[in-house]
Amino acid sequence: MAAKNKSSDSLNKNKTSECVWKKAFSSNTEWPDKEEFLDVIYWMRQAIGIALGLCWGVLPLKGFVGLLLFVAVNAAVIYIYVNNFQNVDEEEYGGMWEITKEGFMTSFAGFLVTWIIMYTGLHGNNSL
Amino acid sequence: MWGDSLLIVFISICTAFLGEGLTWILVYRTEKYQKLKVEVERQSKKLEKRKEAHGDSLDKQHKKKIEREEERLKNNNRDLSLVKMKSMFAIGFAFTALLSMFNSIFDGRVVAKLPFYPISWIQGLSHRNLPGDDYTDCSFIFLYILCTMSIRQNIQKLLGFAPSRAASKQGGALFGAPPAQFK
Repeated sequence: MAAKNKSSDSLNKNKTSECVWKKAFSSNTEWPDKEEFLDVIYWMRQAIGIALGLCWGVLPLKGFVGLLLFVAVNAAVIYIYVNNFQNVDEEEYGGMWEITKEGFMTSFAGFLVTWIIMYTGLHGNNSL
Repeated sequence: MWGDSLLIVFISICTAFLGEGLTWILVYRTEKYQKLKVEVERQSKKLEKRKEAHGDSLDKQHKKKIEREEERLKNNNRDLSLVKMKSMFAIGFAFTALLSMFNSIFDGRVVAKLPFYPISWIQGLSHRNLPGDDYTDCSFIFLYILCTMSIRQNIQKLLGFAPSRAASKQGGALFGAPPAQFK
């Protein structure tokens, strides 16, 4: 019985995660669960951080321009996603600042790690 | 150099899993913790809803009710932190020992090249125990901290061990403080 419950639990989990993916990529979705939407923002941030880190490392972008550009692109993508794609009322989440803050530090750390590692691997022998 | 930096990423992934595993054994799976966590989450959500509903009303009765609930939530949060505290100390000690071991292995070795000049108060960390004046050289500890910051938190969230937003918002400093990033 317990095993049956467990398997149906994991099935439900799979279903909900599929559902979240769909919701995240279709515009103007209703988000009854605030946590779910903030989670989408969080994981999106992490993906953007790593993707930008890879790009900046391959290019290579150097110096504070790279850092500033990361902050700008990261904030802009989330802003456009929230305001123009999903059309969410930001006040429900405590203002734009709360959404902008969501997962920022973790994403920044992830970005730095990928940027540094890619840069070291590809251009580590040239000095700045 | 690239091998070293990838090794550090691997080390921090392993230590993050080890840390979470140990915390699971010592804390997360205990009945007391689970009960308290559910209770705190339920109370925080309830309190948030109540605050939203009666946020501006000056009704004394509501205010008193909210205060009473806040007090109860605070007590539960304190109990939760106490449950966590003991094992956190044990894990903290173990990880400090591990960190000093890795520190001595990578002592004086440039593990990565930074694509930017770090600002002065970070240089102490990013250039720790490294020879020369080239501040774009990166030491073990700086890369390890960065890795832990991103990897540990993501793993916590992935495994569902991170405290919920409602709880950390209502809980204030005790429960809401971010988990120790590196021990």
